[in-house]
Amino acid sequence: MDPLLFDALAAIAKILFVWAVVLAALLPNLVLLERRGAALIQDRPGPNRVGPFGLFQALADVVKMFMKEDMVPLYADRLLYNLAPLITMIPALTTFAVIPFGSSIPVTIGGVTHIIPLVIADVNVGILYVFALTSLGVYGLVLAGWSSNDKFSLMGGIRSSAQIISYELAMGIAAIGVFLAAGSLRLPAVVAYQHHGTFLGFLPHWNCFPQLIGCVIFVVSAFAETNRLPFDLAEAEAELVAGFHTEYSAFKFGMFFMGEYANMVAASALIVTLYFGGWSLPGLALTGLWGGLASIAIFAVKTFFFIWLFIWVRWTLPRFRYDQLMAIGWKVFLPLSLLNLLWTGWLVLASGGRV
Amino acid sequence: MSPATSAAAAVSVMAVAPQAYLVVGTILFAIGLAGALLKRNALSIFLSIELMMNAVNLLFLAYARMRGDAAGQMVVFFVIAIAAAEAAIGLAIFVALFRARQTVDVDKINFLKW
Amino acid sequence: MNGELLVFAAASAVAIVSALAMLFQKTPVRSVLSLVVTFFALAVLSVLLAAPFIAALQVIVYAGAILVLFLFVIMLLNLTQEAAEKETRVVHRFLSVMGVLALGGILVGVTWKAGNPPVPITTSPNAIPVLGVDGEIPLLGRLLFTDYLLPFEALSVLLLLAVVGALLLSKRRFE
Repeated sequence: MDPLLFDALAAIAKILFVWAVVLAALLPNLVLLERRGAALIQDRPGPNRVGPFGLFQALADVVKMFMKEDMVPLYADRLLYNLAPLITMIPALTTFAVIPFGSSIPVTIGGVTHIIPLVIADVNVGILYVFALTSLGVYGLVLAGWSSNDKFSLMGGIRSSAQIISYELAMGIAAIGVFLAAGSLRLPAVVAYQHHGTFLGFLPHWNCFPQLIGCVIFVVSAFAETNRLPFDLAEAEAELVAGFHTEYSAFKFGMFFMGEYANMVAASALIVTLYFGGWSLPGLALTGLWGGLASIAIFAVKTFFFIWLFIWVRWTLPRFRYDQLMAIGWKVFLPLSLLNLLWTGWLVLASGGRV
Repeated sequence: MSPATSAAAAVSVMAVAPQAYLVVGTILFAIGLAGALLKRNALSIFLSIELMMNAVNLLFLAYARMRGDAAGQMVVFFVIAIAAAEAAIGLAIFVALFRARQTVDVDKINFLKW
Repeated sequence: MNGELLVFAAASAVAIVSALAMLFQKTPVRSVLSLVVTFFALAVLSVLLAAPFIAALQVIVYAGAILVLFLFVIMLLNLTQEAAEKETRVVHRFLSVMGVLALGGILVGVTWKAGNPPVPITTSPNAIPVLGVDGEIPLLGRLLFTDYLLPFEALSVLLLLAVVGALLLSKRRFE
């Protein structure tokens, strides 16, 4: 079979797999998971009427979103108003294209064995692609706030985008340490770097151990980037009505909602890939068909843990005030991430290449 | 395609003639120039100037590719960073101007006319 | 039909159409958005020119930061429309359009001749080598810290100046 055709078909298969898992299975059920998780933390049952243990709640929510009245506020800029949810949703989904969700799967066609690496696009700028998409995602918020022709939405939109561009900086510089250690900007290279060896004989060779500060900064900035508590002042229900998506209803609101969850999943996948070993576990080679499937399962479990962390923190911690939020982003995280960069640089130099 | 082969292939053979990129860059430069001359809102003029700079970036990249020289890409790197600094200062100037005169229409900013 | 030709044609068309759209939009917010689309198309063209790092940088810095700053200023100053046309400046407009067309024509002709016949690939010391799996990024990194160290350090001073300058310029004067 022509190698180009094979690569194209493999890419389409991977894209469909990621879409099926993320869009169809994960996102609607995340709504249910969040509400049941909230109920667990608040010592109450949560939604358990629709289907056994409330499992069909996702379907009920989707139907509700489609059936509600779709309004457009007066004097709103129609084109931008309709475009904003898309601009929020698309970068979140497209981020999955560069994240390696498994090792590789060998496929035998006509006697020739092809190895399909389980990453949709192994671009050589790796993480810069993710940062570029995050930067483009800011436009969705700003436009949603502006086009609603409503002062609460505008305030919420501007605050939210200012918060995002502030924490993007700390996140980026904290992540530089990872790429300094791995020697490449590509995400599969980062995972391969964390795959082999151990620290002190028993700890896995994950980046969270030598770069603890960077890991903490990245995780907290991921909370700020996805507008999740404790950084969700922009959509705070009590202060700003609903922030930038006040004037949205029905399907468009659903898109914002799903976009936020998609961002959450993408951020969790990124944290796992950069700092917690991606699809690898120490000691397992994970080659061949069963190795490939096992690596997908390992990645899924790790990502799921961080999604649960997002939900757990949301219902546990109180919210930051806006000036506290910006002060932390600029005055605490930025210097700390620069310190982390210096520390990692020193480590790479002192250890002669492999930290 | 494995990244190694596609990257090597990209360097050695260009399917599209390089002068096509040059023409596109020049057309964008001309459009940016038209905007800078015809617009009245100071921010729109500034946007057109940014477009001109980006068109020039494209030309640099095309020449870097044609000559196989990475110096062109370095120049583009510096141009992007300088454009960021310039945008920050320029917008601060516009904000100060707006506070002083409540307009950013360049036709009305004629304090130095005799 | 070559894939690269197809992508080039699509990206160039999008870039030129959205640049023209930027000229003719009525509100500044829409002009900024048209420019975002233009810059994204230019980033695609940069990828075709074997410069994926610069493409990512263009999207991150230009489309993702500078234009967001533009949007913030437009929204905070509430510049909703283009200034009302009291004088139409007919002569100015006519001369500008003629001038731009003339200059554009000359430049297109010059650049066409510059690329035709194409300049042979020289063996300059900064030649883009046969690229490994990381592309030209290690080469750019090395260049930045060896040959271009002085511009790099000067750039950091420039950025500091820009930050301080922007802060000072936009401070309210307390009389």
